[in-house]
Amino acid sequence: MNRSDPTALAADTAAAPTLAQPGLQSNPAMPDHDQQLVAAAVTKRFGGLTALDNVSLSLRPGEIHGLIGPNGSGKTTMLNLLSGYYEPTAGAIRYLGEELGKATVQRRAALGIARTFQKPRLLGALTVLDNAMLGAWTHSRAGFVATLFGLRSVAASDRALRDKAAELLHGVGLGHALNRRANLLEHAEQRFLEIARGLALRPGFILLDEPAGGLTAAEIEHLGGLLRTIRDAGIGVLLVEHHTDFVFRVCDRVTTLDVGRMIKHGTPDQVRTDPEVIRIYLGA
Amino acid sequence: MWSVLVSGLATGALFAATALVYNVMFSTSKVLSITTGHLAMLGGVFGAFFITGLGLPWIVGLVGAVAVGAAFGWLTDVLAIRRVLARSDEHLWLLSTLALATMVQQAVGLWWGTEPRPFPRLIPQDFSAGITDQKFWLPIGVAIVMALGLELFYRRTMYGKLFLAMSEDAFAARARGVPTDRIRSLSYVIAGAMGALAGFAAGQLTFAYFALGLTLTLNGFIALAVGGLGSNLGALIGGAALGLLNAYSSYFVGGEFQQTISVGLLMLVLLLKPEGLLGSRSTRPV
Amino acid sequence: MKKSATLVVAGLLAVTFPIWAGDQYQLHLAALIAVFWVLIGGLNLVVGYTGQLSIGHVGLLAVSAYTFSILAGTQGLHPAIATAAAGALCGLFGLLLGLPSLRLPGFYFAMATMAVALIVGEFIMANDGLTGGGIGLAAPTFPTPFDSPAGFYYLVLALAALVTWLTWNVARRMWGRGLVAIRDQPVTAQAVGVPVFRAKLKVFVFSGVTAGVAGAVFASLQSYITPDTFVFELSLFFFVCIIIGGRGSIVGPLIGTVILTALPELVAPLAKLGNFFYGLLLLAVVLLVPEGIGRVFEVISERLRPRHIASVPVSPDLPRLARALGARR
Repeated sequence: MNRSDPTALAADTAAAPTLAQPGLQSNPAMPDHDQQLVAAAVTKRFGGLTALDNVSLSLRPGEIHGLIGPNGSGKTTMLNLLSGYYEPTAGAIRYLGEELGKATVQRRAALGIARTFQKPRLLGALTVLDNAMLGAWTHSRAGFVATLFGLRSVAASDRALRDKAAELLHGVGLGHALNRRANLLEHAEQRFLEIARGLALRPGFILLDEPAGGLTAAEIEHLGGLLRTIRDAGIGVLLVEHHTDFVFRVCDRVTTLDVGRMIKHGTPDQVRTDPEVIRIYLGA
Repeated sequence: MWSVLVSGLATGALFAATALVYNVMFSTSKVLSITTGHLAMLGGVFGAFFITGLGLPWIVGLVGAVAVGAAFGWLTDVLAIRRVLARSDEHLWLLSTLALATMVQQAVGLWWGTEPRPFPRLIPQDFSAGITDQKFWLPIGVAIVMALGLELFYRRTMYGKLFLAMSEDAFAARARGVPTDRIRSLSYVIAGAMGALAGFAAGQLTFAYFALGLTLTLNGFIALAVGGLGSNLGALIGGAALGLLNAYSSYFVGGEFQQTISVGLLMLVLLLKPEGLLGSRSTRPV
Repeated sequence: MKKSATLVVAGLLAVTFPIWAGDQYQLHLAALIAVFWVLIGGLNLVVGYTGQLSIGHVGLLAVSAYTFSILAGTQGLHPAIATAAAGALCGLFGLLLGLPSLRLPGFYFAMATMAVALIVGEFIMANDGLTGGGIGLAAPTFPTPFDSPAGFYYLVLALAALVTWLTWNVARRMWGRGLVAIRDQPVTAQAVGVPVFRAKLKVFVFSGVTAGVAGAVFASLQSYITPDTFVFELSLFFFVCIIIGGRGSIVGPLIGTVILTALPELVAPLAKLGNFFYGLLLLAVVLLVPEGIGRVFEVISERLRPRHIASVPVSPDLPRLARALGARR
């Protein structure tokens, strides 16, 4: 794209009407449609350190949204704010019209927000199938007492969740390892298992924390395929990543952060060619 | 009336010293070891053994008891901490220190006997000395000296500063070339020596008793939690508070509910100010 | 298949035990194992599955034993009612103890449970009008047909089987996975929606109820209880049975209980070493086989019959994934 061509730039602006004005500071939040997961002008401080400064981000269903930035830019902080491990110092997180501010992590899981972790957090002592089924906890109808007394409804619920989890595992490519102990998995298998677990939650949004870390090129391609399939099913995807090529290839929209501030927001092409973004990644 | 105060401060001093020992071990390993109370037990038992049993002069007995404590501290690191910290399962050290504490208590019980045995007089003094009895002042003095000694150690010596560095961020310290395993070992040796010294000083108060360890682990921990994990001044304050509470409640209500009242204090502090009086929020062990 | 065959055989052996047991003493020992398992089986969910280091259950055992002895003995209630009351009371204790302490970090929680065991001991001695103080209390037997050694054995065997069934139900369903998540990856547990504190509390209360029932039949089995019976080391014993048997298993701790209860009786020198031996065993397991002895068998059998896990590259089946995702929208 020819950056100096004003008509091209205008066309791009028209295609994404929410693009920020030039500059480094905040992006006006998108209009709050109830289906979106939105971080509105969020600031997060840890003591004297400002991890995020007035950043806005909106995730739409059926869209893959990339979040990139150098180390320390606040990507994981944003992910932790959206999933509920942190509370914002200022600003709000909204989902389905509800302000999530103090909602617990568990509440957000019940609302349909799933996530994976930078370092896979699997239950090594359990099987792959068990790990995936765990993701469906909020859909299990089994109370403690009902489980204790072995009621039929509990067995039926378990069976149904097992079948669904098995389908998901086949889908991500782990069908050959259903009954393997999770601590025997290769790295890529662990990552894909975490995604399957997230999908078992039947999420409206899935937040992925650097899922391409440690994957080979072929595995990254597979990951891309997974993400597109997930998006096409109508789930919103947040992809926090270091592999910027991968992000630009697979995402529908991209947000770039640097030292806690939003630098650029738009389509992959717009972000990739933005002079400020280039400066940050290649050095002054 | 004064005797209640003085005896409360004396037992409180033993609790405070135990809390100091917890702090030293925690600073380099982020572990709260269940063997902590047993160090004082070893100091008391071996002190009595060397002096009364073997007839050695009390200074030799002191050195011997402290050496035993230091050795057990080192053993705790080697057996219960080193290999366990290397694994990813976070709370295995609770099990390993519990196991080691049980072993040392039972072993001492089998060897020394299960009845509390008298601890010898260290300085010639009449038994009717009342509140000036050394059994009160020795532990109080030792606890204060220990706390001051630790402050000097942390501020003025190289090793003390390494301890502090490890306590803040062990990972960064290792990255900077600090030999964290050896520092941790050293801290456990020092902690062991301190614990045994406290037990030796308090021997005339507690008698040489094999089962002292577990209750002291608990009470020392209560003193630590009340005063604040990581704070040496807090350890002194927490210990004094617990000791005085025990002594006065015994005096007014009878000694039957000591444990209940102590735990009540713990629960109160944990509900109102979970990090303890002088502790900082971030030092809560998870 | 092999596993269920072994279980059937073990079950048959247990049921027919009074017939081929050597003497009354062995029958008494078997009943004691069953009684301990009633407590340990429930505690297993707390320690082995949820990873909570509860070392004070001897306190609950004591509360229940004394409650039973007072209600069924001094007060003359029917032993079955007294047992139920003891169970309920200890469940309540579990709730009162768990509410403040289950939010605390590991060491703090362990200390709180240890303190409870010591407090119960204090209480027993202090209220000697009620509890007989140092002298103790007599505990009545159950009415016929449970008053004979064999009859009582079948009673506690049935209770032990019940606890095994209940905890097995929890372990193999979603709750079991949730509890293991709380133990091994609490961050993940939150992320999938497990209500961590409430789950810990429910399991802890359950372990209180089983301890309550165990205490009642324990008192009846011993026929006379004194405070000396309920030393802290007994708590340690329960705990060690679970860790040695292996966390995350029902059968492992069961085997652990059988072996550790019977061992000092069968191997006399060990009896003298007593708790030193338990400490040593615990240390050995933690250092060498932290996953428990059950896992040792698995590892050995894997070595004997190695199943080579072929390194298969992950290859997603995207249409299948799309169908799986579409099915739920």
